[in-house]
Amino acid sequence: MAQSTTKQWSVGKLLLVVGIVAIVAGAAVGTSVGYAVRYAAPTTRSFYLFNNSLPFDQDVWGIPHDTFSPDRITVNKGDKVVIYYRNIEDTTEDHNFVMDPPYTFDAVVHAGQTENFPVASTLKGITVVVVHVNQTATITFTASWSGVFRYYCSFHPPTMTGYLVVLG
Amino acid sequence: MQTMKRSAVLRWSAVGLLFVTGLTDIYYGNFNAGFYENLWYAMGTIYIFTAAVIAANFEPRFAQPAVFGYAIFLFVLWATTAFATGVGLDTVAYLDKAIEALLVVNMALLIRSSRSPSLLR
Repeated sequence: MAQSTTKQWSVGKLLLVVGIVAIVAGAAVGTSVGYAVRYAAPTTRSFYLFNNSLPFDQDVWGIPHDTFSPDRITVNKGDKVVIYYRNIEDTTEDHNFVMDPPYTFDAVVHAGQTENFPVASTLKGITVVVVHVNQTATITFTASWSGVFRYYCSFHPPTMTGYLVVLG
Repeated sequence: MQTMKRSAVLRWSAVGLLFVTGLTDIYYGNFNAGFYENLWYAMGTIYIFTAAVIAANFEPRFAQPAVFGYAIFLFVLWATTAFATGVGLDTVAYLDKAIEALLVVNMALLIRSSRSPSLLR
């Protein structure tokens, strides 16, 4: 008669081993699912940004009637952000685009209403770009820091202000 | 005789808890989950299947530890996922997981009772 070489585990040892394996496996799968759900791969996000004028008399109210449209840009940390900033003024009024530190950006200013017009200037690592009327600036940067960061036109404070929201 | 009776009681209470947990999981997937509904359906269906396996007393030496491990696995899976994502933290989920914790204890007692020397003799 063949003798069994299989050793029987005690109940305590069996429960302990099964319990530990289940806990480790559950934690590993759960953590992976949690990470996968929250993770968003960095991507390029494009926005069209315009100057806007609210219908009030700025001399009467004492503040500029200029605003940004949109005044909120929301991206994930790590995203590449491309902003097509168009000065659509019907007067000869300049606007600029300034970003608060730590952000800097690259900008290509086109001498016309679209990106198909000749390049007027190419700027790298700057914090301010001026856009004349009927010009378009293509502003690019990577959202490397999470938080809320102001962008504004320094010619028309405080109304012409927006916020870059970087989810981290 | 006393051990056999105790083992049978634990087995049928485990069947009841498995069935209730399975139904709660399916209900939750249908109404509350908000994400990974299919996962809740699968978990619930597996629980109901294991209820049948435990009721039939099919291969108890394998089936009982497997169900014990499965219940712990799902509890920890829920805990880590819920706290990582903020989803699945509500009354139905808490109730479901409380029953699941009870099931883990029930299965541990059932395994101990089923492997009692008086039953193996």
